[in-house]
Amino acid sequence: MNTDNIEKLVVELSNDPFNESLNFKVAEEYLSLNQTASAVSFYLRTAEYGTTREYAYVSLLKMAKCFETQNDRVHTVSNCIFQAVTVLPERPEAYFYLAQFYERQRQWQECYSMACIGLNAVKDSHPVLPGTTDYLGEYCLEFEKAVAGWWLGRREESIVIFKKLERTPHITEEYLASIKRNLEQIGATV
Amino acid sequence: MNLVQRAVSHGGKLAPLVIPEGLTNGTGLMNPSVYVDDDGDILVNLRHVNYTLVHAENKQQFPSRWGPLSYLHPEKDQRLATENYLCRLNSDLQMTDFTKVEMLNLHDPIWEFVGLEDARVIQWEGKYYLVGVRRDTTTIGQGRMEYTHIKLDKKKWTAKETKRVRIPAPGKDDSYCEKNWFPVVDEPFHFIKWTMPTELVYANPKKPESQTVFTKETPKPPRDQRGSSHAIRWGSIYLAVTHEVDLFKNYLDQKDGVYRHRIVLWDEQFNLIGLSPEPFSFLDGNIEFCVGAAEFEGDLLISFGFQDNAAFVLRVPRLVVEDMIMEALTYEH
Repeated sequence: MNTDNIEKLVVELSNDPFNESLNFKVAEEYLSLNQTASAVSFYLRTAEYGTTREYAYVSLLKMAKCFETQNDRVHTVSNCIFQAVTVLPERPEAYFYLAQFYERQRQWQECYSMACIGLNAVKDSHPVLPGTTDYLGEYCLEFEKAVAGWWLGRREESIVIFKKLERTPHITEEYLASIKRNLEQIGATV
Repeated sequence: MNLVQRAVSHGGKLAPLVIPEGLTNGTGLMNPSVYVDDDGDILVNLRHVNYTLVHAENKQQFPSRWGPLSYLHPEKDQRLATENYLCRLNSDLQMTDFTKVEMLNLHDPIWEFVGLEDARVIQWEGKYYLVGVRRDTTTIGQGRMEYTHIKLDKKKWTAKETKRVRIPAPGKDDSYCEKNWFPVVDEPFHFIKWTMPTELVYANPKKPESQTVFTKETPKPPRDQRGSSHAIRWGSIYLAVTHEVDLFKNYLDQKDGVYRHRIVLWDEQFNLIGLSPEPFSFLDGNIEFCVGAAEFEGDLLISFGFQDNAAFVLRVPRLVVEDMIMEALTYEH
């Protein structure tokens, strides 16, 4: 397994151990090798020692993903996401993560509520985050709202959202396939 | 200045140790133990655990639900389980081989800490051993050092435990936990059990018996100096890395801690002659732990874990080691 990049970055970090950008880069490099425990260490240092809220925010979301892939750490996953919410409560990404989290737990009202809060936080003016997240845009939150809504008895609303999403440009293939599958299962295909 | 920075800026090298996630579920790879065997191979025992340590540092704004220092094991499995991988590095410290050590199934673990922990790899009289602490044989977690005899097939690169000997504490054997004894590389089956005062112990690798060879008075340490690396020959003296720990609780009664290391020196008769006047860290993390040291091509290899989640071998150039020795020799007591 090639660890040249990790070596280079950790050596750089040794000269500036509390630098948020460097800690984040080390974490990202470990994550690229699926070394999630190692990644957690450096994401947490990014959040604890950094001064830029966007770094802390995205690091906490990444930590949640790391724990999710390790399985059976649900309290820790939700804790990380809720911590991200405290850092930048005005942004939508963490609410999307919470909506997804509650969807997996089949806690539909919580999922629906988080999707609605997230949609309320969608704006074009948010600063760009220093790393990627699973939140790809407003349609992700709409999707969660439609899924949870169906289980909450909001069938018509769910169909309307799914149909609107089906026509949304630039949606990923994965989402589009899932939307079509949901519409089929609901029995609302055109 | 941390030791990685100091070593690398003088021509040393840092080597991250990673094995594929498919074997580990991504959880901690930690506390590696480096050793150079009779063939000149650089061996490392790499500890894999089923948890991820979370340690919130600085202002501790983002602790886990259980506090700033938590072992995040599976929530439906309270065990903190260890398995060991025996690895071989090339002279550039790149991992060329690794294998999970196949342990004998001698008993069902009956405590939460499962497996052989912080095992130092060593070769004595031609045979390979892992020597670490096991705490899963009693319901109260009593810890004892254990020899795990290893059959290492270097062609197929497999490692199997062939025999296990639990080492009683010398004397009454009534202590709760024995761990982190320094193996003395050129004194087969001898360990430094305590640093200051220095207690040298012989432990029989064939049956459960041990005895104190001698205890030598030393100055009082600034903080209890505990075992970490091997004790190796460095010219005419012995050199080892100790660890010291400041364990405390926050106002919510949640545990926390800071680990630091020092170099300790003994003469050939194990009279303590030096100790780093100031502790050092490897990467300025609060939880770091050294489990091995070896001389290689005139330099010093030190292996350490970072926050129980990452593992490294650091090549420290001889020049830096000599400076550290000079600093240690100035220790005022």
